Amino acid sequence: MSDVFGISLSALRAFQSAVAVTSNNIANANTPGYAKESVTLVSAAPQSNGTLSIGAGVQVAGIARSFSQASANQLNSSQSSLGQLNTLQGYSNQIDNIVGTTAGGLSTALQSFYSAWSDVANSPTSSATRQALLGKAQSVANSFQSTNSQLDSLNQDINSRITSDVQQINALGSSISNLNKQIVISTAQGGGQAPNDLIDQRDQLVSSLSKLTGISTTLDTNGALNVFVGNGQPLVLQGNTTQLTTVPGEFDASRLEVSTSTSNGNVISGTITSGELGGLLAARSQVIDPAKNALGQIATALSQSVNTQQNLGLDLSGQRGVPLFSVGAPAATASTKNTDAVSATVTVANLGALTTNDYILSYKTGSPALTNASDGTSVPFTVSGNTLSAAGMSIVLSGAPATGDKFLIQPTAQAAGSFSALNVLPSQVAAAGISLATSAAGSNAGTATIGAGTVVTAANANLLNPVTIRFTNPTTYTINGAGAYAYTAGAAISQNGWQVTISGTPATGDSFAVTGNAGATGDNSNALASANQQTSPLLDSGTVSINNAVSGMITGIGSQAQQINTAQTAQNAVNTQAIANQQSVSGVDLNEEAANLLQWQQAYGAAAKALQIGNSLFQSLLTAVQAA
Amino acid sequence: MRVTQSLNQLQFVAAIDTLQSNLSQTQNQISTNLSFTTPSQNPVAAGAVNGYNQALAQSKQYDTNANSAQTRLSTEDSALTQVQNALQSLRTLALQANSGTLSSQDRGAIATQATQIQASLVSLANTQDGNGEYLFSGFATQTKPFALSPTGATYSGDQGQRQLQIAAGQSVADGDNGDTVFNQIKTGNGTFVATSGSGNTGTGVLGATTVVNASAYNGQPYSIKFSAVPATGLVANTYTILDSTGAAVVPAVSGTYTSGQSIAYDGTQVTITGQPGINDTFSVAPSTNQSVFTTVQNMVTALQSPATSSAGLAQLNNALNGAINNIDQALNQTSDVRSSIGGRLNSITTQLSVSSSQQIQLQTSISSLQSLDYASALTQLQGETTTLSAAMQAYTITQGLSLFKYL
Repeated sequence: MSDVFGISLSALRAFQSAVAVTSNNIANANTPGYAKESVTLVSAAPQSNGTLSIGAGVQVAGIARSFSQASANQLNSSQSSLGQLNTLQGYSNQIDNIVGTTAGGLSTALQSFYSAWSDVANSPTSSATRQALLGKAQSVANSFQSTNSQLDSLNQDINSRITSDVQQINALGSSISNLNKQIVISTAQGGGQAPNDLIDQRDQLVSSLSKLTGISTTLDTNGALNVFVGNGQPLVLQGNTTQLTTVPGEFDASRLEVSTSTSNGNVISGTITSGELGGLLAARSQVIDPAKNALGQIATALSQSVNTQQNLGLDLSGQRGVPLFSVGAPAATASTKNTDAVSATVTVANLGALTTNDYILSYKTGSPALTNASDGTSVPFTVSGNTLSAAGMSIVLSGAPATGDKFLIQPTAQAAGSFSALNVLPSQVAAAGISLATSAAGSNAGTATIGAGTVVTAANANLLNPVTIRFTNPTTYTINGAGAYAYTAGAAISQNGWQVTISGTPATGDSFAVTGNAGATGDNSNALASANQQTSPLLDSGTVSINNAVSGMITGIGSQAQQINTAQTAQNAVNTQAIANQQSVSGVDLNEEAANLLQWQQAYGAAAKALQIGNSLFQSLLTAVQAA
Repeated sequence: MRVTQSLNQLQFVAAIDTLQSNLSQTQNQISTNLSFTTPSQNPVAAGAVNGYNQALAQSKQYDTNANSAQTRLSTEDSALTQVQNALQSLRTLALQANSGTLSSQDRGAIATQATQIQASLVSLANTQDGNGEYLFSGFATQTKPFALSPTGATYSGDQGQRQLQIAAGQSVADGDNGDTVFNQIKTGNGTFVATSGSGNTGTGVLGATTVVNASAYNGQPYSIKFSAVPATGLVANTYTILDSTGAAVVPAVSGTYTSGQSIAYDGTQVTITGQPGINDTFSVAPSTNQSVFTTVQNMVTALQSPATSSAGLAQLNNALNGAINNIDQALNQTSDVRSSIGGRLNSITTQLSVSSSQQIQLQTSISSLQSLDYASALTQLQGETTTLSAAMQAYTITQGLSLFKYL
């Protein structure tokens, strides 16, 4: 008879536990990281009663977590990818907005600038049109600088977010290692019973960590979870953590990199490709750098073409035009690991070959190697003397580099930031082409005449220097008092990049002068040439004009943002699916819990009824015995 | 698959986020009338629109250039019309003075008028445009191009001719330099010029000069000398062609002279009327360039010289005939320049109409890429609003479902 009481009592206890577990599920229905629990009931070992073996009731074998490591891993990895894309999308959308449909106002400013050149061509002696041109030049410079400084501020933003992400990762790592210690102890003390709540907490921390950076985990038999970042660098091993730090970049101290130690020897930035941290690093190298380089390429092309054309023309006072713009030369930065103080100087040698890539120049036993900084592919170059020529640049080192020396070569990265309009007077705008004035001395006694001068090499620095051709006798002349040249009537005389023809018979002492034509203030040929540069193909081996480059930059940035948006949308769907999978295993369904409550309530009632019946059986027996 | 309440809520919030962001984008498109506001919404179109906008602005700038050229060319054309009028007046004066019935005093009065016309010609040649630039000084637009001199006028401009760009690859000259317009004028009939010898004593006057056989004309100067045959005769009845050194040409060319007779040599033909004196010469030389101001100056000098004898009158006639020829050449030159201006103005007008249709085309392209299709945008807005409100309703309905309600 007592077995009825024992069995019923075990059932009452077990169902009470079951109701408690169900209540706990309901209580934690909205707790992040909570995995639904359920009681594991087993029948108690039977008591043998002669030939019969009657069960001894029920007992709670344990509380089980509904958890799938596969689903959790899938979710973590999807969260890492999504974290990366969310961050990348944030920055690419910002750049998309900064650049906008007018390249940050650059397109409009450039158009006005070239139109102003046409206005100068229409009225080359007007000071007003020249002043307007200089105003437009200033607004071009402003738009380069403002766009570039907005890009720079994104880089600063990225630095501060890298720092805070690394701090969060370290904090999460420490918490996980602390939980590891507790879990190992609890598991040992609980005789193999897992401390579910601690494990829930730890899984939640791992999930948070996966949003920051891509991770992989292994579970030890003692219950501890090891966490690895990047390429398998350990972040948490049992109860220990490795602290990550930020260190200044190898080439650029203003670019923070992630390292596993305070020296910059263990930089792991390259291996962090997902999570928010991966997104920050990718935004810097894949979104911001290309945008800055593209902008810089346009700035370099504009500055160089305008300044070169200025030099080929004359201003209102008959002088060669002065440069209108100044732009930063290509940057060459030595690695902080270089063992010597050798520096590199880079100049633009060929605008048409200039790219928007960055390059790494490295030395091994004196021989150089040039690679593309973004993908590591090797880049062809030629060496002539101490000048290394590649991709439209000339690179000159200040000394002999040691093995292992590295330089980061950025052809256009710094150009837009340092682009400025120089302080030029309106009269210094070179609207006129270079022309020469030739004259014969009034005292000439011979019959020789001098023709108009022809400019052969406009870039010749001495072109405008006054030159006197004097005949020391009818068949010999000197140039500026020097030399003795044989005279042939009608033959071309070349000097300083020009050519003139003297014909007829000169007398001894006759002289002719050649000088710059200072009076041709109405000439607009150089202004016309300047206005036409807008559409002349200067870039990419003479296939892309400045206008094309601006359109290309807009399309390039837009396409990239669009592509990132698409990838983010797709990853979001993947992530939602991963959450659904994980929740379908571990989530708390309140309806299910309600049904369970009813089930346990009924079972509890039935067990109580069994107790009552046992009691009434016992009472019947007592009554029968008393009656007898 | 088990669907829990928290997953349900999570998915609802995510869906609402997406719907709201789409709705906001559509709303933004409608309020800006742009089908895209950032390049990422349509990268290819954004790049293309930028290119079209640049082409449009450039085309508008070409119009500005064309208008500027038009203004300057019109100014030049009207200046040249006045030059033509002045030259016509000069021609009339020369004809008037050539009538032979005038006294020296009358000719002096005509000379004064001619001098005044010369001054006005110089002032026309020094015309400035609205910007104060001289029209006829080439590139040296701030230098006054012409100044009177004893032999005509000196030119201080240069040979430059300013070009303005009126379309991609098409430019027009917005003027002509004074040297071309006023100085580079051929003398005589444009091919050769015949002049009477300064010591002529007869009344021989040069008439029409023509090129009868251009291929036979070799450009060698020659002269026609009159003599009496036999040598004892008192009247020059024979002409002989001499070369530039004064020797008879080989093979010799000579003939009997009668007044009004054409004398042909070397593909050229000269008519002489009147009675030349013995040893009178008339020389024929290739045309050279002579400034219109020098032509006028020569005419004035001829008019001012006293001509009383018949030989003197013949000299005057010859000088005035030469002047009339030269004025005709100047008129030709001016009308050539004017027709070239007309041609340029025509091509500007043509280009302006081409560019206006080009601009319409560009604007259409920009608008087709960038402007919003309101009908489809509003339909989309309607659809998105409906979806959003349906999603909200669906959520409230499913949220109301709970077993606990029945417990």
